[in-house]
Amino acid sequence: MNILRYFTDPVLQAPTLGSMLMCLSAALVGVVVVLKRRSLLGEALSHASYPGVVISIFILAAFFPAGQDWLAPVILLGAFTTALLGLFAIELLERRLKIKNDAALCFVLSIFFGVGVLFASRLQFEHALWYKTMQVFLFGQAATMNNTHVILYAALAALTIAILLLKYYPIKLTLFDRDYAKTVGVRLAALDALLFVLIAMAIVIGIRSVGVVLMAGMLIAPAVAAKQLTHRLKWVFILAGVVGALSGFLGNYLSLEIPAWGSGLGWKFTLPTGPMILLSASSMSLLALLFAPKQGLVGRKWRIATFRWVSQGENLLKFLWKKGDSAVVRFTDLRAQTPYSSLQLWLLLSGLQRQGWIKRSRSGGYALTSDGVVRAGYIVRLHRLWEVYLVHLGQGVEKVHCRAEEMEHILTPELEQQLVDLLNHPKQDPHHQPIPYSERLP
Amino acid sequence: MDENADSAAVSVEGLSVNYDKTPVLWDIHFDIPKAKLVGIVGPNGAGKSTLLKTLLGMVQPLSGRIEFFGETLKRAGQRIAYVPQRSSVDWDFPITAFEVVLMGRYRKLGPLKWVRRADREAATHALVSVGMEGFADRQISQLSGGQQQRLFLARALLQDADIYLMDEPFAGVDMATEKAIIGLMDRLKTQGKTLLVVHHDLGTVHNYFDWVIMLNTCLIAYGPVEEVFHADAIMRTYGASGALIEEAVKLVRGKTSGAS
Amino acid sequence: MIQNPYSGKNLFEFLILFVQRMGELLTGKLSLASLASDEVQVLVLALVASSAATIGTFLVLKRITMLANSLSHTILVGIVVAYIVLLPWLPGAGAHAHGISIEVLLGASLVTALLTTLLTHVLTHVLKLQEDASIGLVFTTLFALGIVLVTVFTRSTHLGTEAIMGNVDALHLDDLYLIFWVALIDFALITLFFKEWKATTFDPAFASANGISSARYNHLLMIMTSLTVIGAFRAVGVLLVLSFLVAPVITARLCTHRLKPLLLYANLIGIGSALISVALSRHLLTVHRLPVSTSGLVVSMLGVVFLLVLASRAVKAKMQRID
Repeated sequence: MNILRYFTDPVLQAPTLGSMLMCLSAALVGVVVVLKRRSLLGEALSHASYPGVVISIFILAAFFPAGQDWLAPVILLGAFTTALLGLFAIELLERRLKIKNDAALCFVLSIFFGVGVLFASRLQFEHALWYKTMQVFLFGQAATMNNTHVILYAALAALTIAILLLKYYPIKLTLFDRDYAKTVGVRLAALDALLFVLIAMAIVIGIRSVGVVLMAGMLIAPAVAAKQLTHRLKWVFILAGVVGALSGFLGNYLSLEIPAWGSGLGWKFTLPTGPMILLSASSMSLLALLFAPKQGLVGRKWRIATFRWVSQGENLLKFLWKKGDSAVVRFTDLRAQTPYSSLQLWLLLSGLQRQGWIKRSRSGGYALTSDGVVRAGYIVRLHRLWEVYLVHLGQGVEKVHCRAEEMEHILTPELEQQLVDLLNHPKQDPHHQPIPYSERLP
Repeated sequence: MDENADSAAVSVEGLSVNYDKTPVLWDIHFDIPKAKLVGIVGPNGAGKSTLLKTLLGMVQPLSGRIEFFGETLKRAGQRIAYVPQRSSVDWDFPITAFEVVLMGRYRKLGPLKWVRRADREAATHALVSVGMEGFADRQISQLSGGQQQRLFLARALLQDADIYLMDEPFAGVDMATEKAIIGLMDRLKTQGKTLLVVHHDLGTVHNYFDWVIMLNTCLIAYGPVEEVFHADAIMRTYGASGALIEEAVKLVRGKTSGAS
Repeated sequence: MIQNPYSGKNLFEFLILFVQRMGELLTGKLSLASLASDEVQVLVLALVASSAATIGTFLVLKRITMLANSLSHTILVGIVVAYIVLLPWLPGAGAHAHGISIEVLLGASLVTALLTTLLTHVLTHVLKLQEDASIGLVFTTLFALGIVLVTVFTRSTHLGTEAIMGNVDALHLDDLYLIFWVALIDFALITLFFKEWKATTFDPAFASANGISSARYNHLLMIMTSLTVIGAFRAVGVLLVLSFLVAPVITARLCTHRLKPLLLYANLIGIGSALISVALSRHLLTVHRLPVSTSGLVVSMLGVVFLLVLASRAVKAKMQRID
């Protein structure tokens, strides 16, 4: 189905845009929450907003019949009020009563939710139609949003962005180094209060689309994804916003497309939008956790494997070097005298050849190129330097070889220079072997 | 227990420990004879706390042999007492000083057994020996740093061990308590106990300890203080050469964790 | 149909009658089978409160209450998925006359508890994500998955408010048996290994060095939490159990700084709230014709008790200052 339809079709427009805006503001605020390591604050506040939803519906139900969309702001205001109350309670519990953070969060979370449940039961018995409205906030229901909602959420999202932009530098300072921020005049208490209000607002906006229970995830997932991709705060915000908005869209898109595709195959089912939004966000953060170039798991495993491969290659170079500068060694001898399998050896040798460290002689054996001699010598140099260092520190001569085998592949030129300076340009290693003179490699 | 009269109290050989892919200890070896007060010194992150935890079996080494009086930890465990860092504990916990000390008997009792009167008497006795008899019913958050440290010591005393492993017992402690702790340690030494103490103040090593272990990821030196603890060794532990090792360790971690 | 002896009673009448009948139960004059539904409610809620207060004490002291929150969300998913998705396929697991069979409950929840802790562990240690974000991601994702599965299989987006909030009015004797065993197991394990719990909670390093594996006790505590959550499932639903785990303990902590009194007070607060709430629920129905959710009432009551204790402490402090 055409993606553009989601923005033009009057039925799909409001839910799609509304969800995207909500998730955008949630994601932005979520960056602050996640960077402060208070991810579960969102969980506590979203549950704390629930009684506000219920009680305000309760009050409305006394005066109005169900189904009046223009009353939505009242409900949001109620939710906001109890969320703030919950925030206040958490601060009080932690500061005054010295209750630990996790217990304070769980206390507020559960008690407030219980109060909500209590009032909701009254609603169920007395104003059954309004009860349905309340359920919408529990699990989220993007589909019944209309343009009034979109305008409301757009305004609130814009407000969120505006505040974050205005206060960007103080926020950046406090996230990075609170004590320093204080010394340059940032009013920490005021800023914290503002941020918490922003969090409460974002949560209250968001529960309409993903519901109370899942809201915490919408604060966390986009921020996690963004954090994996960059270290610069500006881009964390931007990427998180993108992931948030994208999740809002995908949630709506997939919850319609997948059943449509399914019914083509004869399966009839529906998908709930709220959870689909969250699952989109979670999937994106999982992908980031796995595949982010610098920090992702796959990248890390790859670099570890590459390092090991390079080290093995360097060991081969050393081996050839020790045979003598112009020695030519046949494959079978290499196979016999090194711990590598035939396949490994062949791959390593091809790699080394390609990089120009070794060459094939006419007889079919392998020898170091002149560059290879220099490189191998450099590695041996690092090995022997490290041995001298370890002995200098106080290690026994018999023990230093193993460690040096590791370190020779790791030492950088800077460290090499420091070693040389510290040890006074040593000429011999502890086993009385000469330390090759270093020629700087390009 | 068939104890070889010559076997060292603590004997370590070829000990290498990684913590979360980072090398923390490299080829550590030492033999500590009985009845010695041993200080373990080194810069931050040198692996001193990790060494204690490895000795106690709380951290699994990559390689190496550890023996206490010629026996493995499994068989000699009862003879070793541990005094962890004060900061490792939540001092708001609802527990009295007396109950903390009583924990020293838990190992001996084993699970499913309850604390007996004899254990309580011993705990009171231990509190007296650290000068805390009036504080038995105090909630621990009401104690000062020095008092908390004494409590930990009393708990260790209750174990009636032969080897005491202590992690920074002098950190954040007032002078009077420091004097009291040293007095206690000396008394234990004369009773034939062996103490390994992670220490942070180089200035007091000469006064407090007989032996010293100087550590900076590698073992720099160990032995009697007069022989080993001099400027050259200190330079190798803390000076530029010490910093070099930290750099190297960082590089290794970068490569083994795939971060670089 | 036996007439419910509690219908038409107000708060005080309820309490008096209750005490009377409990006395009869203990002396054997009354049999379990002839317990009124209100009594079953009180007993179940009291046992839920008691076992929750007991293990909740250690959850709070170990600062892992958020893990318990996470578990309660994912166990809900496990139960619902098992019931709706798997039950039709399992031979002989047979739907219980009053809902889900015990085996399904236990199996589903233990599996999801395991899954939750495993996934959280993978996120923190393998994918190197900060712990608070890991916990939050795991339970929201599993919860969302659960809702999706339920919607797909039942064609309704309704997770069932009963699953979330429980249905105290539908409690039955079988639920009493379940929670009774759970409470027994919880008490037994805490009592038998009391000093080990104390040691691993207060000073895990010292405990490990003394042959008490802190890790093993933490795992055990997670299993016990899962059991308690299951036991509470029918009564208060899974999301409100958290209040039983945390609120009485926090309130009791205001009253004492010793461990055994803490456990005792937490238990008393929980049990007392349960009793008063059921009585109050009946009272509201009788006197004011106001039916309310008893589970919501209990949780609100726990909050009220906390505020009362707080207030009395403040008053006491003021009075001491005046002296």
